[in-house]
Amino acid sequence: MSCSSTEDLPEQYKELFTQDGVLLKACIGRPISDLNSIGMLCIVQNPDSTKCIEWRPNDLITIDSDTQDQEWAVVNTIGRRQRTLSGNMTSDYAAARARIVKIPLDELKTFKVARNSQQMQFSTKPGIWQNTFYFQHGNAEVFVSQLKNHLKTAKTRHDRNTYVVVEPNTESQVLNRSFAELDIFTENTTDVVWGLVSNFKQRPYETTMEAFSKLTDIVYYGNEGLNGQRDVSDEVADLLTKSMSALEDSTSVTKTEGYEVISVKPTLPPRPCIPRGTPLSTEKWEGLQDTDGRILEVEGVKQLIFRGGVAHSIRHSVWKYLLDYYPWNATHADIRKIQKKKTEEYFSMKLQWRSITEKQESRFSEYRERKSLVEKDVNRTDRTHPFFAGDNNPNLMVLQDILMTYAMYNFDLGYVQGMSDILAPLLLLLGNEVDSFWCFAGFMEKILSNFDIDQAGMKQQLLNLQQLLTFAVPDLAKHLATKDSENMYFCFRWLLVWFKREFSFSDIMRLWEVLWTGLPCANFHLLICVAILDAEKDVLISGDYGFTEILKHVNDLSMCLDIDKILSTAEGIYHQLISAPHLSDQIRIILGIPTASNKNPEDPSDTDIPEQENGKPESREMEEVTLEYNGLQISVVTKTVWALLA
Amino acid sequence: MSSRKKVLLKVIILGDSGVGKTSLMNQFVNKKFSNQYKATIGADFLTKEVIVDDRIVTMQIWDTAGQERFQSLGVAFYRGADCCVLVFDVTAPNTFKSLESWRDEFLIQASPRDPDNFPFVILGNKVDLDNRAVSAKRAQQWCQSKNDIPYFETSAKEAVNVELAFQTIARNALAQETEAELYNEFPDQIKLNANDNNRNRDGDNCAC
Repeated sequence: MSCSSTEDLPEQYKELFTQDGVLLKACIGRPISDLNSIGMLCIVQNPDSTKCIEWRPNDLITIDSDTQDQEWAVVNTIGRRQRTLSGNMTSDYAAARARIVKIPLDELKTFKVARNSQQMQFSTKPGIWQNTFYFQHGNAEVFVSQLKNHLKTAKTRHDRNTYVVVEPNTESQVLNRSFAELDIFTENTTDVVWGLVSNFKQRPYETTMEAFSKLTDIVYYGNEGLNGQRDVSDEVADLLTKSMSALEDSTSVTKTEGYEVISVKPTLPPRPCIPRGTPLSTEKWEGLQDTDGRILEVEGVKQLIFRGGVAHSIRHSVWKYLLDYYPWNATHADIRKIQKKKTEEYFSMKLQWRSITEKQESRFSEYRERKSLVEKDVNRTDRTHPFFAGDNNPNLMVLQDILMTYAMYNFDLGYVQGMSDILAPLLLLLGNEVDSFWCFAGFMEKILSNFDIDQAGMKQQLLNLQQLLTFAVPDLAKHLATKDSENMYFCFRWLLVWFKREFSFSDIMRLWEVLWTGLPCANFHLLICVAILDAEKDVLISGDYGFTEILKHVNDLSMCLDIDKILSTAEGIYHQLISAPHLSDQIRIILGIPTASNKNPEDPSDTDIPEQENGKPESREMEEVTLEYNGLQISVVTKTVWALLA
Repeated sequence: MSSRKKVLLKVIILGDSGVGKTSLMNQFVNKKFSNQYKATIGADFLTKEVIVDDRIVTMQIWDTAGQERFQSLGVAFYRGADCCVLVFDVTAPNTFKSLESWRDEFLIQASPRDPDNFPFVILGNKVDLDNRAVSAKRAQQWCQSKNDIPYFETSAKEAVNVELAFQTIARNALAQETEAELYNEFPDQIKLNANDNNRNRDGDNCAC
């Protein structure tokens, strides 16, 4: 929260109030790529004295080059950049400017605060919330109190968090009043403000610390006074207690030789609870194909699958696209050609090993070993499932044939344990040997590094998982480190076969199809691990579990996990991470997000959608809509998809 | 019962894929056999209390994946082992030939204090099958050549010699453990070398 200096601004526009750490969650008419980006929410006075609420993406904030070499650079917001705009405006800035969201105050009808002061919604038309903002620091109330200086509002009877705008407030002394009301300083307000502003320029570090130290006083002592003087409802009191203890938890004080070192651990923004959607149905799937059978809205389809998976009855069809057996733009005729070609290719590879005679085999020890390894594993793959149960089950032969043929398809890799686990659900679902083979080959393409001879891929993932956990669930990561478990080896099985051993067949099908979409970021399967571990955190920490107990506990979670809950949590964690102000480049790289230094200012959140092949964002040409679905604000790429979803 | 502290013995089972490591462990601990055990991915362990010379000891038996490429991660579990059980399949000569490298690899990775006297036990499994390819004599000769490693011919399926083999494993592991205690009668702070610390610490804090 700050009242920025107005001296740099063009005369006509005046910023009355700005608040940092505000995410644009939903905005009707905006592309999905604009959403979930962080910025600031301001109250601005236009040249004609009308006022509006403006949200600006953080890309517009630049670091003053004059002060960059100082230990603490002065972060100059909007002002300087706006000055540059009149000069030579770069295209990046034009794009970023285009993403500013404006809500004229005289059009504002209602606004609402929800989720413990974390969310605000605005409406200029009855019945529709056009804009939803998410306040990372849970301080939407601050914005409301500022907004009330410019508007006359009334609370609605049925919902005390919803405000109806009665008439705009034309009070001009709002700036002074807002400072007076804050009552931060016991000294003369104006002097202090000016002192603060000039000091900040000269001694940014000291001034900031000084200001912060006063803020601590307010938080600690202001609360007491509040309780003593005013009648605070129980609910508010609860909230205050909670926030106070949260503050204490995240602050540690260490005394070293007369200095008090106060370190405040950066905390993540609250985790949004994102409900799962319904599976992609036959009707929707058919509706997404053109008359020739092409799937046009690929990203839209992937989003639907990410949200709710695929209905079982059409999995056999959809999976072939997800696993790159069929291209999304293939027509019915193309598919027939592909099937023919791939069938021939499969059987020719199969013939290669089938035609090895017994005599040959007796002189080919490597082949014998490979074959015996496959045989051993096939005979112990999901034998309790009816599809693979019983002696001389013909499906085991198919499993064996596909794995042997895959060893011909990928000579260098051959057969590695875990592959039979990967194949079994595919064969169960697809039934057909050729289809199963090609889908298996497609799946293997995605997880090839799991089977590296030197296990480099697995080691890298375990390391990345540890890094994600350290960022997302630091207390658990710390516990693991004290128990020699920071290598995360207890998650090895999860990662090697993508949780195949942890879930039933129907659940693993759901999880896999969601992961195959590649949404919402790279390495989402690692966030699945984080979600599962987060749910076990209390058991592991309060039980003071050591190396062996952790492994046992994690192994025993098999078949006791709730897939929908885990998917929902993992997505929530994803949103927490990407909206964290202290998100490190290390984490960005793992999640495939542009790093802070290497960020494309045009679109910081474009990792939500993998880049279009032609390099040009196709979605710009299509109609984008944001609508509320199951209480969730989601933006979908085209109207077609939305119509199918609704 | 004796007032001595509870003893935990860490036992590692190693051997090629499909020789019956998981089956042997389950036969010993749960008295059950199934040919439907899945291939082990990662690592797991089972515990069982046994009485050795009037002393109750808890055996913590570790089972890891058999395929060679997974060993680089399996070594994390070798630490603090009191005994290593090497298993081969008597119907598959290759699994017998691998014993040497399993033993060497274990000694390198676990780096026990006294590698020459670290207790190993060799199990020739699947003697119930009739297509035997490694003779008992050949196996015994190899074991003798390796500082007289105890050798048992077992069948996890028919519970042949499993109990006996694990009793020996427990006894030899306990002897190792007791020896380790003697070495560690000094206060904890005096550490002769880094590897001495792990064993007892693991043994003490596990409540399984």
